[in-house]
Amino acid sequence: MFKWILMLGCLLGLAAVGARAQGGSRGRGETVQCAKCHASHDFLVGKGRKPGEDTLLFVPPTILAGTVHDTLLCTSCHRGYEEGYPHAATLPLVAPCQTCHEREGRDWQASIHAANAETKGDAPTCVRCHGSHVIYSNKDPRSPTYRLNVAAKCGSCHGDQRIIGTYFATPAKEQGRIAAAQYPKSVHGVAMTRDGLVVSATCSDCHRAHRILPPDSIGSSVYRDSIPATCGQCHSGLVRTFEASAHGPTYPRAHPDTIHRPVCADCHSAHGIVRIDRPGWLIGVVGECGKCHERLYETYFDTYHGKVTRLGFDVAAKCSDCHTAHDMRPPTDPQSSVSPTHLVATCGRCHAGSNQNFTEYYAHGDPRQRLKYPRLYWPWLFMTCLLVGVMAFFGLHTTLWVTRIAIDHRRGRGEEKTGGHS
Amino acid sequence: MTTRPMNAADRGEGPYLWRFSPLNRTLHALVIVSFLGLVMTGLPLKFAYAPWAQVLVRFVGGVTAAGIIHRICAVITFGYFLTHVGYIVYRLFTSRDRLSIVWGPNSMTPQLKDLQDIVAMFKWFLGKGPRPRFERYSYMEKFDYWAVFWGVAIIGTSGLMLWFPGFFARFLPGWAFNIATIIHSDEALLATAFIFTIHFFNVHLRPEKFPIDTVIFTGRATTGYMKEEHELEYARAAQDGTLQARVAPPASRAAYLWSVTVGFISLALGIVLVVLVAWALLH
Repeated sequence: MFKWILMLGCLLGLAAVGARAQGGSRGRGETVQCAKCHASHDFLVGKGRKPGEDTLLFVPPTILAGTVHDTLLCTSCHRGYEEGYPHAATLPLVAPCQTCHEREGRDWQASIHAANAETKGDAPTCVRCHGSHVIYSNKDPRSPTYRLNVAAKCGSCHGDQRIIGTYFATPAKEQGRIAAAQYPKSVHGVAMTRDGLVVSATCSDCHRAHRILPPDSIGSSVYRDSIPATCGQCHSGLVRTFEASAHGPTYPRAHPDTIHRPVCADCHSAHGIVRIDRPGWLIGVVGECGKCHERLYETYFDTYHGKVTRLGFDVAAKCSDCHTAHDMRPPTDPQSSVSPTHLVATCGRCHAGSNQNFTEYYAHGDPRQRLKYPRLYWPWLFMTCLLVGVMAFFGLHTTLWVTRIAIDHRRGRGEEKTGGHS
Repeated sequence: MTTRPMNAADRGEGPYLWRFSPLNRTLHALVIVSFLGLVMTGLPLKFAYAPWAQVLVRFVGGVTAAGIIHRICAVITFGYFLTHVGYIVYRLFTSRDRLSIVWGPNSMTPQLKDLQDIVAMFKWFLGKGPRPRFERYSYMEKFDYWAVFWGVAIIGTSGLMLWFPGFFARFLPGWAFNIATIIHSDEALLATAFIFTIHFFNVHLRPEKFPIDTVIFTGRATTGYMKEEHELEYARAAQDGTLQARVAPPASRAAYLWSVTVGFISLALGIVLVVLVAWALLH
């Protein structure tokens, strides 16, 4: 409990109330009692605990008017001050918000903010985000917790270099370092701030409002395994497809030893999410697939598709063009876009002449694998021998010729024109 | 003495003699232009992983432009190839001396003498014999000719397959495109490596020719040059009295400057490109 008192006390001005028994009936008169002192600048001179805090104690009687707490009394939050003035020195400064907001209080208690508020003292408590006396509903555009304002509120700390340096300095916390800078440029941030689209995702949608936990914490909404469900709150259709694909948690694993399956943020990033039709984005994703599918990644870049993609041409087939973006499955799965029954249609998405013959193309063919691709190995070997043979023969021819010229020149045996017959 | 000592075709004594017809010179100019275009737009694709690939692609105007240039140059290549083949066929039907086109010292067909010349050349390299004397076409020139002939045929065919996969898939299996890619790419690499090193050395960079030989551009060279490079052909012409008919006026100053300019630009481009290839291969 002490942390409540400490934290809220730092931020809130004290509100004292006149003599009134705890649990006694409440009424407007009580506020008037408090206002006798707290609405008087003259009275408050020198009453602050530290010099300069006097003004914090100034609370006009109408301060709650029009807020969500319009009907509350000073003593609803400032418990114990009913006893009147002078206030007992041992009184708790403020009452916790969770007296009423029980669930939110519990969620906050479990969060990383609560943990850091206790140990380091600079993490946000209720009032840091919601304000103290002037609190509006999160449906009210004036509220800092209104959807359009959330990112700015979070960013006021998470964009602060001191906070970033204190809490997000390790390499693993890169997302924490870049979040405030990247989010406004992301598709979610642009939709929210530029287009005013309140249904777009803001900080609290992915991280929750109160039970905010770091991604390495199992209960976190951004814990690796929880990310599809978190994104799926909005992208419901995609996540259902993805979770049923070969990357889903229940699909029979072709590589049981792999620890991680990819989740949304691996390809789309966390805070820098952009539209997939942004130039170059799909090309970048190829590298993401290649992090696990190393062999296929290499052989892809041996093909025309891969080479021209590497040069920056974004029309040629990339991983997702053949394997789909979210419903990827091995070719042995009849539902797969690259299963024999679907290949004609899959190739046909780009190639007008796609037919059964066409699908016999090796999209990941490797001529150096004699046993797997004998049809490619022998032509490749022939061409390599031809290349090496011709260049070796004429390389020798030229080398010897140059040597002859040099010898003749040094001996002075040849005429000035070395073409002269010896 | 000549006033143009830089040019091998101008060195040596005596009147100028014709060596290449206007058609051959035109076709060779088309070979130069189209080949450089093909290599500059094809290499970045083959060596897409090389650090210079993106730079070269941007230099030619981007990936899409590179693809268009490559296809335009391919059409030029088919054009000069078919023109040449058509001309040979035409000559076979109309020429009074049609045998000399396909056989004998004036033909491109490899002869026993070419094999003997290769052996003699290596002997000369090793100091074990005189330097062989060449006919109208040395074995090196014949190799160049047939390399282009073979190269255009197989790079062209495989290139068409890759250009029109939908059409070729009507009667070819898909893996034929994998093979076409291998052949197209490796044969093109061979052509690039060969032309920009061996061919350049043989016809421009060896001391007798250095730094440039414009005979393929202006079509003519001095008698001294012809005696040195194609001694047997010169001797034949002197003997059968056709030498006088081959005497040519010196190339005009404009033709000379144009030839040297185009020649040097092509040489420089080719050498840069082959250095890029070496860089990528050693990378």
